[in-house]
Amino acid sequence: MKKMLFVVLAVLLAFGPLFAAGQQEQKAGPVTLNVLFYSPELAEQYNDMVAAYKAETGVTLDITVLQTDYRSVLTSRLNSGDVPDIFMSSAYADNSTYKDYVYDLTNEDFIKKIEPSALQGVTVDGKILGYPFLVQSHSFIYNKKVFADNGITTLPKTLADFEAVSKKLQANGVQPFATGFKEFWVLPQTAWQAIANVPAENYGGYENFVAKLNAGELKFKDIPQMSQLFDLLDLIKTYGGPKPNESDFNDQTSSLATGKVAMIHQGNWAEDSIRKTNPEVQIGFLVGPTGNTAATAGIMFDSNQTIRIAKDSKNLDAALAWLRWLTTSEYGRNWIPGKVKQLSPIIGAAAPDSQIAKETSALLASGTPGYPWFYQMFPTGTEQQLGAILQGYCAGITNRAQTLDALDSAYAKIAKAAQ
Amino acid sequence: MESMTPLKRKQWDRALTFALFTLPALAAILISVEIPFLMSVFSSFTKWNGLDKAQTFIGLENYKELFLDDLDMWKAFGFTLRLTLGSVIVVNLCALLLAVLLDSDIRGKNALRAAFYVPNIVSLIIIGYIWRFIFSAGFESFFQASGLDFFMLSWLGDVNLVYFSVLMVSVWHSLGFYLVIYIAGLQTVPRDLIEASMIDGAGRLVRFFRITLPLIMSSITVSVFHSLSNGLKAFDVIFSLTNGGPGNSTTTIALDIYRTAFVINRFGYGTAKSVVLFLMILILSIFQVRLFKSREVEV
Repeated sequence: MKKMLFVVLAVLLAFGPLFAAGQQEQKAGPVTLNVLFYSPELAEQYNDMVAAYKAETGVTLDITVLQTDYRSVLTSRLNSGDVPDIFMSSAYADNSTYKDYVYDLTNEDFIKKIEPSALQGVTVDGKILGYPFLVQSHSFIYNKKVFADNGITTLPKTLADFEAVSKKLQANGVQPFATGFKEFWVLPQTAWQAIANVPAENYGGYENFVAKLNAGELKFKDIPQMSQLFDLLDLIKTYGGPKPNESDFNDQTSSLATGKVAMIHQGNWAEDSIRKTNPEVQIGFLVGPTGNTAATAGIMFDSNQTIRIAKDSKNLDAALAWLRWLTTSEYGRNWIPGKVKQLSPIIGAAAPDSQIAKETSALLASGTPGYPWFYQMFPTGTEQQLGAILQGYCAGITNRAQTLDALDSAYAKIAKAAQ
Repeated sequence: MESMTPLKRKQWDRALTFALFTLPALAAILISVEIPFLMSVFSSFTKWNGLDKAQTFIGLENYKELFLDDLDMWKAFGFTLRLTLGSVIVVNLCALLLAVLLDSDIRGKNALRAAFYVPNIVSLIIIGYIWRFIFSAGFESFFQASGLDFFMLSWLGDVNLVYFSVLMVSVWHSLGFYLVIYIAGLQTVPRDLIEASMIDGAGRLVRFFRITLPLIMSSITVSVFHSLSNGLKAFDVIFSLTNGGPGNSTTTIALDIYRTAFVINRFGYGTAKSVVLFLMILILSIFQVRLFKSREVEV
């Protein structure tokens, strides 16, 4: 009898957890889509869209928004089989990173409503593997009032122009730049823009440039224009206040909004934070210098943030229906320009109430070059690694030659591993 | 079975019961700890990006790259060792000193004990962000109020200073934990031994070094062991305070492993690194515990 009791107890102990796990509730009724997004600065806008979609269709979007550890969470979830129905990633190199998981949107009707230029970053061998979420631009943002107060009327275009402006501001007691050097993503954005004209001019286009880098036929140390990049970083550091290596995104946006600094290197996504700090602020967009040639100075303009649909999702149809709604419905078409306040990739979408978006359109219309975010074509993981190496240069750990060697060896390793 | 004596039979029954009751726990540990560990040892011999459905077996290639061709990893290793050494020494000395003070009859010692323990309750990630704020915006206000150049140094941006900033924050955070262990240790020292030594004419210092210290050796073993393995695994404070920067100057092995696996998507290589880290912690800990255990005395 006692023995019997022991056996029963032991068996209970062993299988107890299984019983608990088995009691999952059976869900019926309307679909719930599982969504994993980044950009927490858009959390309000995401929720607004979710509410609107639920009101119109009854479908719930269960949305999780992350930032710093987005990639690792996504990787673990894909790995463990807990694949979100809808998720986000970058364009270009990420097309191959998530190739085993994403649905091919090429034949969906709503894709035809998207600007073809916005589809470049998500197209591989003629297949459209993602849905461009926004069109974004980055370059230097300046505080118009600070420029006017200090008598700067001609906007800088070349490295020499930027240096002259910085000198003048510094002499008047205004800090020219907030660097953002502490963020690993700000540094590469700032740096690569300084050679944005080079791949097209000297290496037969961006894809060719990246292919040569990936194959090891081209090294950063053999690109003479890399000096433009270092010159720009040196300039920002010299005129970037007493602690240039500690400036982060918050420091950049708040310092610019309050007029403590005159310029920051950031993208249109920073506008919301800037205007929240100071609703009255007037900001503008400057071209980024590519050495001392004014004609090639431009802005970085691309659709990078990409929505992906999981191909094995059991809610595939519901996920596609949501994208269709986002592209064609009244609310959906107006969501990005009206609520997110950024440029929409949908053909004929309204212009957003955004100072940077307006300046972006004006600059492009006047013939200023808009370069693709070609560094997103580098293999996944280079952004952070190369960013850290550039950060080391800015902190004085490595000189130019050492930095170039470090960039080359880090790039070669990641490219080899990505093959 | 029939040839068993009653005694043997009873022993057999007891062993069976024992096995039956430990089996569930054993299975749980196997499933949640040991099997995943063995799986990651297997992954360390593969080339796998963590996403593709296939893992390619490449033998010892990962280990070869690790030992022959990965300067960044060894730099991170060097920094981790420096940080561990610094924090083991500083945190144990500070905690011991404070424990002696807070174990004596000073006023408000309970409030002080609580105050030193509070940082330990807060997550290191939060602590990192708080200190990041103090080092930048906080120090700037201090500078404007006091005019001391000390506050205008770039504590997180200068390669020569950032080591001390990280060390200071991690010591500040973990001090309370070790303080508790040392206070508990001090309270087990028998009063009669102390009194006997006083009668024999031992001064405060002699009493501390000859009586108290040998008797709390077991607390020291535990604390040094803990601070050693925590130092070697340091991740969260670095992640939130400096994110490994500037450059890679404060990247620890744990952060390097995280980046290798999750940022560069080299899962196979990342697990190879973590197997090496595991072995290093194991060897160092065995060595340290052996060394310290031999100095412990029993009353």
